[in-house]
Amino acid sequence: MLELEIFDLKLETEWIGRNFLLLEETESTNSFILSDKNDFPNGTVVFAENQTAGRGRLNRTWVSAPEQNLTFSVLLTEISPLMPDLHLVNFAASIAVANSISNLYQLPTDLKWPNDVLVRNRKISGILVESVSSGSQVRKLALGIGVNVNQTIFNGDYLIQPTSVKNELRESASREKFLAELLNNLEQGLLELAADKQAVIDEWKSKCSALHDKITIKIDSKEYDGILDDIDEHGFLILRTPDEEIKKFTFGDIQVRG
Amino acid sequence: MDLNAIKKLVKIIEESAVNSFKYEDNECSIYISKQAKGATIVQSAYPAPAPMAAPQSAPEAQAVKAAAAEKPAESASNLHEIKSPIVGTFYRAPAPDADSYVKVGDKVEAGSVLCIVEAMKLMNEIESDMAGTVVKILAENGKPVEYGQPLFLIKPDN
Repeated sequence: MLELEIFDLKLETEWIGRNFLLLEETESTNSFILSDKNDFPNGTVVFAENQTAGRGRLNRTWVSAPEQNLTFSVLLTEISPLMPDLHLVNFAASIAVANSISNLYQLPTDLKWPNDVLVRNRKISGILVESVSSGSQVRKLALGIGVNVNQTIFNGDYLIQPTSVKNELRESASREKFLAELLNNLEQGLLELAADKQAVIDEWKSKCSALHDKITIKIDSKEYDGILDDIDEHGFLILRTPDEEIKKFTFGDIQVRG
Repeated sequence: MDLNAIKKLVKIIEESAVNSFKYEDNECSIYISKQAKGATIVQSAYPAPAPMAAPQSAPEAQAVKAAAAEKPAESASNLHEIKSPIVGTFYRAPAPDADSYVKVGDKVEAGSVLCIVEAMKLMNEIESDMAGTVVKILAENGKPVEYGQPLFLIKPDN
């Protein structure tokens, strides 16, 4: 079980994680934190030791061994400073994960659009952001983050082979220290996003090795080849096709071609 | 303003962090934007499968030109307009094989889910903020929507 004393000693945030719920088990921390039955303050963190129905995009599963990893959600209710490009919380969060991994473990990290964190071409973290709007106003947002820390065996089929801190480091890592470091970095990242979103986009780009490389973007069964030309001022991906056509993507799965 | 001055200006803007620039005086008005004009926005009929997931069959993706927002022909003052709070892709159903959240003529309550708008793995669920009847759906499934683009017209219950 997560040792809250160790975590608390390392936490330096003002508002993220100051309301902290540790659940032994829940279906999905995003669903729990967004449920209208709960009325949590801005920055609340819900952490689950065992997420029984962890989700990726469109109800795909995120499988994580109990008590070995980080699976948690951060609730944001003060949305207006992040509008209208609210989806850039994906960049702030993936930068925070990457910085935490390099600060604590000196492992090489790479970012894959829009929000995956890779170590040596293997996926170490996944992020799913869900928000709820009432009419035209976004009311609340759940930033769901999964990081593989001490899990060493990954069974199943994966588009990108997973890895964990322990697999890369060859030793166990303290989940408590990692979580505190991550929340510290996340709070700074969200403040920076509210103040200067271009700075966050630029930092994200600087950590993305595939920028200007040949890539393939998959959407459903279609594939688009080209050069990853740029990330625009909204964080969207700009692809330059072989016949010099410029295409903009708001989502898609990226593969780097040799 | 002569052509060389404009060229210089374009170069300055190009190398700066500024994304768009507008200048106006009595003689001329100039607008420079770094945004790739006419860039094709690639969208799909449904969100694509993400890594860490079992593959799912989905309809053929479509590459579509960024369509101008479909404006309501007339928005009568007694109708309530629900606009997209973010830029993204508009989905009327939670999954390719699922029923739409709502259709024209449906009664909705405050809190009823109307649609999802997705951008960059942010799934934004839009709920009605009042009880009423869906009179018109102004955006097309799987197509891009802009910030502030009208999505639904709701006739409030009296």
